[in-house]
Amino acid sequence: MSLKARLSRLQSQAGGGCRDRNKGIAGTGLRTRLAHLRPERIHAQAPSGGHAMPPDELAHALRGEICDEGLVHIRRSIRLAEQPDSLILRSLQCNPGLPGDAGTSGLRCIYIDTETTGLSGGSGTLAFLVGLAFVDDDAITTRQLLMTRFSAEAALLAALARLLSPGDRLISYNGKSYDLPLLMTRFRMQGQEHPLGTLPHLDLLHPVRRLFGKHWKNCRLITLEENLLGIRRVDDLPGAEAPAAWFRYIRHGDGSQLARIVEHNRQDILSLAFAHSLLARAVERPRDFGVDIHALARWLAETDESAAIGLLRSHAGRLCDEGMRLLGQLSRRTGNWKQAVSVWETLAANGCVNSLECLAKYHEHVSRDLAAARRCCERLPRNAAQGHRRRRIDAKMEAMKNRLRKHPPAESCLPLIAGRIPGQGTLDPDT
Amino acid sequence: MSTPAGQIVPPCEASHADPAGELAARLRTKYATRITGELVVPAQAGQYAPLPDDLDHRLAEALRGRGVERLYTHQAAAWKTVQAGSHTVIVTPTASGKTLCYNLPVLQAALRDRHKALYLFPTKALAQDQVAELMALNEAGDLGVRAFTFDGDTPGDARKAVRTRGDIVVTNPDMLHQGILPHHTKWAQLLECLRFIVIDEMHTYRGVFGSHVANVLRRLRRICRFYGSEPCFILCSATIANPSELARELVNDEVVAITESGAPQGPKHLLLWNPPVVNADLGIRASARSQTTRIARTAVTHGLKSIVFARSRLMVEVLTKYMKDAFDRDPRSPARVAAYRGGYLPSERRTMEKKLREGSIDCVVSTSALELGVDIGSLDLCVLNGYPGTIAGTWQRLGRAGRRQRTALGVLVASSLPLDQYIIRNPEFFLGASPEQARIDPDQLLILLDHIRCAAFELPFRDGDVFGRQDLGEMLAYLQDHGVIHHESGRWHWMADSYPANSVSLRSVAEGNFVVIDTSGGKQEIIAEVDYSSAPDTIYEGAIYMIQSAPYQVERLDWEGRKAFVTRTRADYYTDAIDYTRLRILERFEENKGKVPPLSTVAHGEVHLVRRIAGFKKIRYYSHENIGYGNIDLPDQEMHTTAVWWQIDPHALDAAFESRLEALDGFLGAGYALHIVAAMRMHSESQDIGRAVGDGNAEWFATVGASGRGQMRNSAGDAIDPGQPARFTPALFLYDNYPGGIGISSPLYEARETIVAGALQLVNTCECAHGCPGCIGPILASDEVRGFSPRQMAQRVLRLLSANGEPEIP
Repeated sequence: MSLKARLSRLQSQAGGGCRDRNKGIAGTGLRTRLAHLRPERIHAQAPSGGHAMPPDELAHALRGEICDEGLVHIRRSIRLAEQPDSLILRSLQCNPGLPGDAGTSGLRCIYIDTETTGLSGGSGTLAFLVGLAFVDDDAITTRQLLMTRFSAEAALLAALARLLSPGDRLISYNGKSYDLPLLMTRFRMQGQEHPLGTLPHLDLLHPVRRLFGKHWKNCRLITLEENLLGIRRVDDLPGAEAPAAWFRYIRHGDGSQLARIVEHNRQDILSLAFAHSLLARAVERPRDFGVDIHALARWLAETDESAAIGLLRSHAGRLCDEGMRLLGQLSRRTGNWKQAVSVWETLAANGCVNSLECLAKYHEHVSRDLAAARRCCERLPRNAAQGHRRRRIDAKMEAMKNRLRKHPPAESCLPLIAGRIPGQGTLDPDT
Repeated sequence: MSTPAGQIVPPCEASHADPAGELAARLRTKYATRITGELVVPAQAGQYAPLPDDLDHRLAEALRGRGVERLYTHQAAAWKTVQAGSHTVIVTPTASGKTLCYNLPVLQAALRDRHKALYLFPTKALAQDQVAELMALNEAGDLGVRAFTFDGDTPGDARKAVRTRGDIVVTNPDMLHQGILPHHTKWAQLLECLRFIVIDEMHTYRGVFGSHVANVLRRLRRICRFYGSEPCFILCSATIANPSELARELVNDEVVAITESGAPQGPKHLLLWNPPVVNADLGIRASARSQTTRIARTAVTHGLKSIVFARSRLMVEVLTKYMKDAFDRDPRSPARVAAYRGGYLPSERRTMEKKLREGSIDCVVSTSALELGVDIGSLDLCVLNGYPGTIAGTWQRLGRAGRRQRTALGVLVASSLPLDQYIIRNPEFFLGASPEQARIDPDQLLILLDHIRCAAFELPFRDGDVFGRQDLGEMLAYLQDHGVIHHESGRWHWMADSYPANSVSLRSVAEGNFVVIDTSGGKQEIIAEVDYSSAPDTIYEGAIYMIQSAPYQVERLDWEGRKAFVTRTRADYYTDAIDYTRLRILERFEENKGKVPPLSTVAHGEVHLVRRIAGFKKIRYYSHENIGYGNIDLPDQEMHTTAVWWQIDPHALDAAFESRLEALDGFLGAGYALHIVAAMRMHSESQDIGRAVGDGNAEWFATVGASGRGQMRNSAGDAIDPGQPARFTPALFLYDNYPGGIGISSPLYEARETIVAGALQLVNTCECAHGCPGCIGPILASDEVRGFSPRQMAQRVLRLLSANGEPEIP
């Protein structure tokens, strides 16, 4: 009996094909049974009737060219001048700026996305299609590299490395955790050097999550296109079907689905480029784009607190509580106590315990208005910390009374209190 | 750290009173009838060697800083073979300083050449211990070597540091299989400089698990070659019969074995203890639990430090309670008794280990968790509540007492399980026998196939590559037929949108385990997993399924969905599936006819097996009487596997038995006894082996029917008259209970004479009157009354099977 026949028999006996368990169990002879054994769990579909397409024919159908053995290169450009009415093309910038982008202004943006043979990663998953997009003053150009056989991988990676140069910056969508590590694995498997680790890299998924994560149902690229770019894809083959489409070509030479995957990938990198520009616009005009103001302010505050305060103040009437709290926090940090107090008072009036506590601290330690501190404290929920605070304020009031009785205040004491540098939050002994 | 080599022996130990020896003497006089066997192992003096000349001076300083001035001879021998570049396996007793055998070369290579090492431990707890110990040596010499554990508990943000900065990475085979190898490019820095692979507790890698691990190691070496490294293996093992053979199978290369221990050992007493008989007819004895508690209590009262091993976590808790009731009644004084088992928090376990080392605990009750190399200091007494299942495991546990040059006492208390009773009634078997062989079969087709898939994912195979001892090209072609691999220009590429290692568990052959879901009180909680292959006869509807000896009843079995829904129950019975197994002999590999006259034949070969689980018996606890039946409606199970079978010459059979029915009873009883002995001999769980009685042509087979007597049934499962078949040549089968076999039946065939002799002795020496679960299987109370003795029939069959066919002794 052949090894293959034994294997398929054993696999089915080990629970591999439970659905077929009831069939063919009668105790007939082994040889007869073997003849009846169907191969189980076959993934390969039969070819769909279409003829097998050799790589050059496939390249032609994709409007690309064979640039190395088994490697198809598809280069396409959209001239901005050709479609002057397209809003989205008009909004395209060469190097859009986002918060924290300092130091990247001279770099060329390269938008990158891959299609892979599996979605779970690991060293057996490879990127059979890599798409790059470049934006110039007058055009947006996509270059896609497609393997038509496994052995073309080395050529694909070499071609990819040639397209990148030290002055480049990679822009991806979820590339930090998916595309880039996967490509680095592939370079290592092929024993090739690569520049991926050294190039600056911006993963747009992170800012998108920040700015819209709360408002959108999810942050997939499709959702981004619908909500930010106003695009709805027609007849798109989802990325999850990419592996099957490529396998179909490898097994049967059926390139029909592959063309749709190439188109899907091209759409992805174009969307990335547009999204990048539009995100920059959204940061400038957040209200028009439905940006989460609080999240944007937090992002701005990482590098520019005054810009964040400006943003929050310009949206003062419409801020969510979190936004208000951030405004209070930033105001305190920059020493604008007046603004901080007014924010806290508004919040405290709405029952925000945290702000009430800030007020109590402020009155106790900064303005030294112990009576006001005591009033705020009274409104705080009763717990150990509140009791502690109350007793401390009472003790201070008592001490103050005693001091005043013994030594009436001299003029010179007052500037000491007033001149105190409003703190970094370190004034309060209980923080 | 385990006993540092060359540590100064406390001088006055020998002149002191000998508390463990005295306790042994006291037990011996007071309970002479319960002690069925005794063994005294004399003390052994330490043998030493100087620190090797080529040992790095920093390392030598670190050793001296830890009080180690010289090595044991086996440590020095290991150093020499490893420095010569040989794969090395070290087989010495517990606490003989094995860890130094691998830590020294590994640290030296890390210090001198920044070479790296990978440590594999079977459990996470051991891995943690190992890193702590390495760090102690590291700090003593300020060596600057970085050791990290990498397992399921390693946080995501720490993983990168482990991958790129660790000199020594400590992990387990499952993590290597699913977490490291499929992502080897991330581990390139480690793999490029990998000099040593250390495998401790090698004896745990046997059977299915060991067969998988051998393949994981094949994959690891293949990936190492890709990165240009050719690491050296250092393995350590507790005593087993075939360490070099197991090591060679695991690493697929020649391995030098070092088996002479130079570590000193105090004298050891071992007592085999059988609880007294309470009901001789039913073969019921007093519980092992009460005996264990009694012995441990006596020991603690006399000031001995003790450890008690129990076989389940529940039993640990029960015994701890009994001991605490005796010694920890006053909550104000510190506890003298402690429990130790899996499921406790790591910090809690560390605290316990510390207390044990310091000697502030007088008695610890543990599962096998303390069997492996966790350092717990010096103990005087070890009580085993029940036979641990293997000779090697028993010695390993007993080794926990008397680590440091002092008399130690071990007591093995037998439970009522058949295996325990066999061991206890045949003390010479246990005391005289060498430990079991650890068997693996890395080329078992299904296991190998799984790992070829994983390996293809990790790195494409090339034409002409070799992986295992089967034809790789044909295996790959099979996978190509199934669409997961693609052949192109001389290479085989993985081509499926999946991650094969995720669907391969190192602990089983079959796919699609069943989960057991507890639905008591409206909840839905997964409480256990059952192998595909053992599902049909353990979780059928109506079955009582035991977890930690708590009974659950199976309410519903979803065969397609692989789920069993159970509820808690208080049944006073357990269930036993009635399976009709038909076997057809397909091919005889080997055959051995008995001596002149040819009374019996024994053969080894391939069989086709169809099992129908037709129903189940309800058996009451203790009395073992049948109290009812239930039907089971499950698809037939079909399997090709390998088997050993025995047959008796028809004339001899006719002469020996008055009727065919009697002969059938004899075969069924003999099968039961052979099964017990075979499982023990083969170092396997009893469910790894199946048994059946039939004609070997799938025309009829025999089972124990409702009457308690043997029944003959045809292929449709209908009862037939034993007189009906023209020819009557029953065969008794023991088979590998996995599709394709897992390599048990071949050594079983080799050991056929010992096994038959062992089974005969088991039945001969049993104290029951007519048969019991300890020898030929449970029998009905009615048989006891009638005086019919299936046991006698079984003895007759076994005598005919034993090669010389000795005459029956009345």
